[in-house]
Amino acid sequence: MAFLEISNIVKDFGGLVANNNVSFQIEQGEIIGLIGPNGAGKTTLFNCIVGYYKPDSGKVIFKEKDITGLRPFDTNRAGIGRTFQVMKVTTGMSVIENVMVGAFCRTDDRHTAQSEASEVLNFLGLESVKEYHLNELPIAMQRKVGLARALATKPELLMLDEVASGLNRTETDELVLLLRRLNAEKGVTLILIEHIMEMVMSVSHRVIVLDYGEKIEEGLPGEIVKNEDVIKAYLGEKYAKSH
Amino acid sequence: MEKLKDAFDFRDFSRAEQVGFTIFSIFLLLFPWLGAGSFVKVVMIQFLLFSLFGMGWNTIGGYGGQVDLGKAQCVGIGAYTVALTMVWWKIPFWVSMPMGILLAVGYSFMIGYPLFRLKGHYFAIATIATSLVLQDIFANWKLVGAAKGIELPIHDHPDFLYMQFKSDTYYYYFIMVLFYVAIFYMNWFRRSKLGYQLRMIKDDEDAAESLGIDIRWCKIKAYSISAFVAVGGGFMAVYNLYIDPVSVMDLDLSIKIALMAMLGGAGSLWGPIIGAAFLVPLDRFLGSWLGGQKGLIGLDFMIYAMLIMVVSAYQPRGIWGIIEQFRRKGS
Repeated sequence: MAFLEISNIVKDFGGLVANNNVSFQIEQGEIIGLIGPNGAGKTTLFNCIVGYYKPDSGKVIFKEKDITGLRPFDTNRAGIGRTFQVMKVTTGMSVIENVMVGAFCRTDDRHTAQSEASEVLNFLGLESVKEYHLNELPIAMQRKVGLARALATKPELLMLDEVASGLNRTETDELVLLLRRLNAEKGVTLILIEHIMEMVMSVSHRVIVLDYGEKIEEGLPGEIVKNEDVIKAYLGEKYAKSH
Repeated sequence: MEKLKDAFDFRDFSRAEQVGFTIFSIFLLLFPWLGAGSFVKVVMIQFLLFSLFGMGWNTIGGYGGQVDLGKAQCVGIGAYTVALTMVWWKIPFWVSMPMGILLAVGYSFMIGYPLFRLKGHYFAIATIATSLVLQDIFANWKLVGAAKGIELPIHDHPDFLYMQFKSDTYYYYFIMVLFYVAIFYMNWFRRSKLGYQLRMIKDDEDAAESLGIDIRWCKIKAYSISAFVAVGGGFMAVYNLYIDPVSVMDLDLSIKIALMAMLGGAGSLWGPIIGAAFLVPLDRFLGSWLGGQKGLIGLDFMIYAMLIMVVSAYQPRGIWGIIEQFRRKGS
């Protein structure tokens, strides 16, 4: 049995089919890149897995448990964490408090939550900004906070929605190292939606390509970049033919 | 026991706040001996009472960000429980007060369940609706005195069982003790798991849900906890020795409670106290002076309405928010 098994997910927004019969399997410890042009249905798929949307049909099996249609807090408690493409920039809580809320998912004790949050912040190199509020931080840091609070819930599967967008080259390189460490040291399985090809290709073990809501390809990064259908989806039919 | 320690631990506040709170506490303790007139004493009692209400409101409205405009329902349930059980069965205050709180909590839990299907303004409007319904029921229900209200039988002074005293000083110390219980409780609450989760819900509901927080359940819990304001209702019953649907259940009371907490600073420990310190004297002044002048009746409501607009437009986090802003800039 696979770690995460998606079978025949369909999500239809009244005429616009955002996900059409998407199926794939993921093994524990993998890093999966989920790519596709804008509007391909990547974030919708995330939302169907995590529970923000209920898929019209299809199944999501996580660790041999059917989690289709469960609410996000339940899937989180089951061990799936996620970050958001757009982080709401809030002013109400400091960085460490944000991360503590994540840690409270697994404990009732404030001191435990606090020390766990500090640990996560250390791991991500955020300890120096822990007293700041989100609105006082640059985008790269805000995203890391989003990552930190998801990590604090101790997920076995972490789904990252464009964590690298808006980051510069150095920041992206740092993030790649971080994700690898996360995967290697903490054994977290990762699925990332990403637009920056270089990054996806270098960090992913396997890549899944969506286009118009359907899975068009799945394979090793090296194969995917040479695949004709993928090039067509990204660069248009003309480009694919002339090369 | 470990958990209780948080209630009395004010170490994470700044030096200025600790000193301010200590001086304020000494002042409260000595106040009846400072030779203030009876009018000022009444205002002080009202101030402590409304601070208590504001703190209750703050659990759901401040930390949770759910604007509750029906807090008077709980006040009313507390007041009616104390008054009715005393008239009918001569039940002492110390028994009827916890009963009143339990009833208010139960009631809040029951209506919280459907209410929290709604979000934002819709929730606020729904709280108004339920409180109008409850007030109407009490105003027409013969058994509980209908619109005439209930008078409490008078006991010999001082009566510590039924909490009846001639002198306001007794009442003053009584409400002061309740006020401090509320402060210690809130000081614990703000650092509890539920406190953190509520603040996250207020900031970003989607993110909160992704962090394992059952949003609706958290809101219902906080809403039920905030029903502890019923204790203030019980106090009003024994203090005024007379209650009716207007004095303990009116929308006017709900709005004042919410407004004081919002003006002072929703979501902070000191906010409701600061708000009450501003608005209770203002309310008394407007009520006794302007309200009596011909043609000026209703002016106090206009002033409240304006305050609500100014606060929500310029500083949603109230007076305390302004102070904190300056502090962050300064550091």
